[in-house]
Amino acid sequence: MVSDGFDGPGIPGPWSQAKNMQSDPHPSAGTHRAALSQLVDGELPAGELSAVLAGFRQHGAARADWHTYHLIGDALRSDELAVAPAHDERFLQALRLRLAQEPLPLDAPPRLAEVAPQPSAPAPDTEPAVPGRRRGAHWLVAPVAVAAGFVAVAAVLLVNQSVVTPPVTAPTIAQAPTAPAAPAVLVRDAQLDRYLAAHRHLGTGLAGAGSGQRSVQIVYEPK
Amino acid sequence: MTADDTDLLLVERAKRGDTKAFEMLVIKYQRRIERLIARMVRDVDLVQDIAQESFIRAYRAMPQFRGESAFYTWLYRIAVNTAKKALVDLKRDPLVTESARASANDDDDETSRVERELTDGETPEAVLASKEIAQAVNAAIEALSEDLRQAITLREIEGLSYEEIAELMNCPIGTVRSRIFRAREAIAQRLRPLLDTREGERW
Repeated sequence: MVSDGFDGPGIPGPWSQAKNMQSDPHPSAGTHRAALSQLVDGELPAGELSAVLAGFRQHGAARADWHTYHLIGDALRSDELAVAPAHDERFLQALRLRLAQEPLPLDAPPRLAEVAPQPSAPAPDTEPAVPGRRRGAHWLVAPVAVAAGFVAVAAVLLVNQSVVTPPVTAPTIAQAPTAPAAPAVLVRDAQLDRYLAAHRHLGTGLAGAGSGQRSVQIVYEPK
Repeated sequence: MTADDTDLLLVERAKRGDTKAFEMLVIKYQRRIERLIARMVRDVDLVQDIAQESFIRAYRAMPQFRGESAFYTWLYRIAVNTAKKALVDLKRDPLVTESARASANDDDDETSRVERELTDGETPEAVLASKEIAQAVNAAIEALSEDLRQAITLREIEGLSYEEIAELMNCPIGTVRSRIFRAREAIAQRLRPLLDTREGERW
């Protein structure tokens, strides 16, 4: 293994060297740059991100370093991306002016409520191209949607109950087809009628006294 | 954590109202987005406008970004759609473009002077500055020691992780981290005089 002597994570050795390279208004510029370098590469430990972001917020030098490191990478990958830094600065400044006019794109609903009363926040753009502009409407509609869901479930239960209940109280052995195109021929037999009447009486008794009249329709399909 | 993970963390911060986190993403991707749009839109004056609009749309739509794709992939789609919409609008209302071009070509028009100050897409100064940047970076790379040059090249051009570079260079990860940082600082030292000479503009 070859080591330059800077193997431990968080060791300030190389960064103090970098700090001496030039004056910087950021008091811990060397350390900060080293962390920025790691962040550029996606190798910064997650726990150190807050400190780097704080430095980025507070120091223009940190923002310039972040830009420089990315510009170096872009320039190494393609000459097309070796853009004049002044252009990038103007781009960011112009974008800041526009972002200042935008409401915060907050994710959590409670924060929406916090942002809404801000007088400086303009009315949301109604342009349909970006779906994120209708979050407020979603927030208001949600309780109504939940209530509507309950109503829908209750309606389905009622319908199912009304469909299932009738066969219990009015048993039907067979039902004539509703289409009148080919009327069925009903054949009655006196012996069979007496048999059914006896069993109807027995069935009524088994089902419980006072259950009222029950009718049984018998249809013989023609063969 | 990968570079994509870094983007996700910055997006999450931006969603919680940290506009500087969003600025970090802008600084990171603005050049690539402008190059992408420049391949679709020939009018250099429009490229920056469309790039700006793309970032504004991305900012507005961030609550919908769930990290199912890389942030740049998502941003790329927004930029392409924004450019397509701009091209459709231009076809629908070509007079605006013609008048803009006419005023830009009119040296006596006071507004054209302002426009030229705001746009530097293809000006000779911008081209020269870009060449200076590329030359400075290349010269700085040539001047690096072999270890530093190899480390920064494997990271920035080959896209390898610190762990992979450590394996290739047969050294600890901490050494890789140090070499890449020192390489960047050496290159930045060459660039900073070019960056600092821009007057009146601060990050």
